[in-house]
Amino acid sequence: MTTMADTKADISGDSPLTQNSGSVTPQPNNPLSRKLNKILETRLDNDKEMLEALKALSVFFTENSLRTRRNLRGDIERRSLSINEEFVRIFKDVKEELESVNEDVQAMSTCCEEMTNRLKAAKEQTQDLIVKTNKLQGENHRLEVRAQVAQAFLGKFQLSSEEMATLRTARDGPVTEDFFKALNRVKQIHEDVKVLLRTNQQTAGLEIMEQMAVLQEASYEQLYRWAQNECRGLTQESCDITPVLGQAMEALQDRPVLYKYTLDEFATARRSAVVRGFIDALTRGGAGGTPRPIEMHSHDPMRYVGDMLAWLHQATASEKEHLEALLKQVTIQGVEDNMQEVVGHITEGVCRPLKMRIEQVIVAEPGAVLLYKLSNLLKFYHHTISGIVGSSVAALLMTMEEMHVLSKKMFFNCLSLHASKLMDKVELPPPDLGPTASLTQTLALLREVLASHDSSVVPLDARQADFAQVLSCILDPLLQLCTVSASNLGTADMATYMVNCLYMMKTTLALFEFTDKRLEMLEFQIEAHLDTLINEQASYVLTRAGLSYIYSTLQQHTPEQGALANLPSMDNSSVKGAMVQFDRYLSSPDTLVMPQLNFLLSAAIKEQIFRQSTELVCRAYGEVHSAVTDPANGYKEPESVLLRSPQQVQALLS
Amino acid sequence: MTTAPYNYSYIFKYIIIGDMGVGKSCLLHQFTEKKFMADCPHTIGVEFGTRIMEVSGQKVKLQIWDTAGQERFRAVTRSYYRGAAGALMVYDITRRSTYNHLSSWLTDARNLTNPNTVIILIGNKADLEAQRDVTYEEAKQFAEENGLLFLEASAKTGENVEDAFLEAAKKIYQNIQDGSLDLNAAESGVQHKPSAPQGGRLGNDAPSQKEGCSC
Repeated sequence: MTTMADTKADISGDSPLTQNSGSVTPQPNNPLSRKLNKILETRLDNDKEMLEALKALSVFFTENSLRTRRNLRGDIERRSLSINEEFVRIFKDVKEELESVNEDVQAMSTCCEEMTNRLKAAKEQTQDLIVKTNKLQGENHRLEVRAQVAQAFLGKFQLSSEEMATLRTARDGPVTEDFFKALNRVKQIHEDVKVLLRTNQQTAGLEIMEQMAVLQEASYEQLYRWAQNECRGLTQESCDITPVLGQAMEALQDRPVLYKYTLDEFATARRSAVVRGFIDALTRGGAGGTPRPIEMHSHDPMRYVGDMLAWLHQATASEKEHLEALLKQVTIQGVEDNMQEVVGHITEGVCRPLKMRIEQVIVAEPGAVLLYKLSNLLKFYHHTISGIVGSSVAALLMTMEEMHVLSKKMFFNCLSLHASKLMDKVELPPPDLGPTASLTQTLALLREVLASHDSSVVPLDARQADFAQVLSCILDPLLQLCTVSASNLGTADMATYMVNCLYMMKTTLALFEFTDKRLEMLEFQIEAHLDTLINEQASYVLTRAGLSYIYSTLQQHTPEQGALANLPSMDNSSVKGAMVQFDRYLSSPDTLVMPQLNFLLSAAIKEQIFRQSTELVCRAYGEVHSAVTDPANGYKEPESVLLRSPQQVQALLS
Repeated sequence: MTTAPYNYSYIFKYIIIGDMGVGKSCLLHQFTEKKFMADCPHTIGVEFGTRIMEVSGQKVKLQIWDTAGQERFRAVTRSYYRGAAGALMVYDITRRSTYNHLSSWLTDARNLTNPNTVIILIGNKADLEAQRDVTYEEAKQFAEENGLLFLEASAKTGENVEDAFLEAAKKIYQNIQDGSLDLNAAESGVQHKPSAPQGGRLGNDAPSQKEGCSC
């Protein structure tokens, strides 16, 4: 241990030399020797510490002298001291620096701590806030959703302010497309809101419903006023229905009362327009007098009435068109009926002026033919206009029907009057047994009536209907007239006269349709009179040819009277004499013609009478021939009495 | 005062005349329906059709009165000439007789319409070239001599049908433009819309459309 300490002291350079010198002992193994040994054994090269120490020493121990040696220790100590002092000084700096660092760190720490505290405090404080914020955010989100829902709800169940404004401001302003959009929205909402009633939003639903209902009513009211106003303005002859007005009607159809009132307003406006137009056309005509006012033609009843009715036809068609334009978009049932009703109402106004004028024409007694034409014209226009107005009980149609009936009545009156005038003063047949003047006139009238009937504009089936009446109205009195006027005539004259009259009637009728039945009747009557004439002619010939007495005696002869030849004036010579006379007839049969036959108007009839009467003559001759040749009748040499056989006679006469 | 648009600016009234069977009703049908009516029945009296067409940039409503050609309706149809702005006088190019009767139709038309009435001569059935009986040239000459417009058309193929109505309408419109047709007169066959109120009968209670009819 001591060694160690010593060594240490040596190394530290305290005073190893002094120590060595101080304790030298001659003993072996004495410490000195050991020390010495040790020193000697010391290998300086390997002792780094020693080398270092020496190196350090060499720096300042530059002068190896005693004094210096003596002072070495002090020097070293001094040097050590100064080094230490230096060290201390430097270290002091370090310490100070460290202290300052420490201070800074301390400050930082404090600061941090403070911050931490504050943070902690803040955190504590914000905790609440965050919670609140979160809550608020949640709330916010919820509200946003609700806002969206509410927005959507409003969007669906409420009007936008523009729409509202459109509905509201339309009171005086024009109704536009937007108005209908808004109105449709109201309607839609009113419809949609029913969904709400099925949920538990019933209160809202009801409220909205009520609100919409109120709004709807107000809007409809407004629309109605507007449309009514528009319609009221449509009093021009030309009338263009604006599309908006059409839309208004479409919208109004949901409110039948308002719809009807609007239509009424329209009808009233149009009615006065049509009346004015009609009166203008009647009295003023077009610009500068072309076309001329219809009344300018009042002297020509057909043209006058025809022009009026044609004007009305055109006006009616135009009005129907206007109405169709107005109600184009209306979809309710019975629009068509509605239209007809309205057209009926529109044309109602012209009824009075029309009726007055037509009545005037009719009452002025324009004659049977004109009356008949008028009645047909009226019927035609009744038919034509009812195609537009429909078969409803439109006043115009009723007026026309009334006028038609009146004219027809007047027509038949006229015919009856004519007939009774005929009967009042029955003309005697003229000497030529031709038709009397009154017959010719009446037939001319009939022809005219029938001709106008033929060219009538009334459809075929309708024409046939009153035909029988016309015919019987004219023909029956005529026939009667003829019979009466012929009553004082002889048979042949009467038959000739009647045939002539009937023939005239027949030829008149034959020209027209629908007269077949009448013609047949006339034919029968003619034939009846023809028979008379044929017989008359035959007996005329027989008398003139001398066969008459013989023939009649022969016919009345009975076997009880005995042989024919024994009867007075039936003997051979008498018969022979008669035969000579008959032979003269045979040589020129045309000379024996009853004078009346020459009065016959129809050559064909005359020919027929001639032919058939000749047949009768032949037959009579045949009978005479067979009687004479009959031995029972006691004629001697019948061949000399009768020169010709019946065949020969027939051949000669035919 | 409304700003709503009108459907059309004018109404022109037309009448179609000519012999029976020349195809008057078919022309009308082709014009209004754009279809050919193969077995068209005889017209009874007068029939009626309308169409809106564009004439020189104006929308014009044509109101067309198609008359029966049969002689027995002559008295009735004469009443329809009144106030027609245009008359279509039709004949059949395959039947000379229908052409020969034109002068009688023309006399009627001249006597019964305004001096301003535009008359257009139409040779119908132009598709039946093989059976042609009236040459284009002579009809053209007839039209020129009488101051008529002239076209050959076919109601069957539709050829020139549109033009026939259009040409007449253009001429009428031209007459309006140069002032020879007085619109304010009633029964000129033309109605202008919106029309100015006539006379004072409307009073102040009726809000009339005062849009400018400056003519």
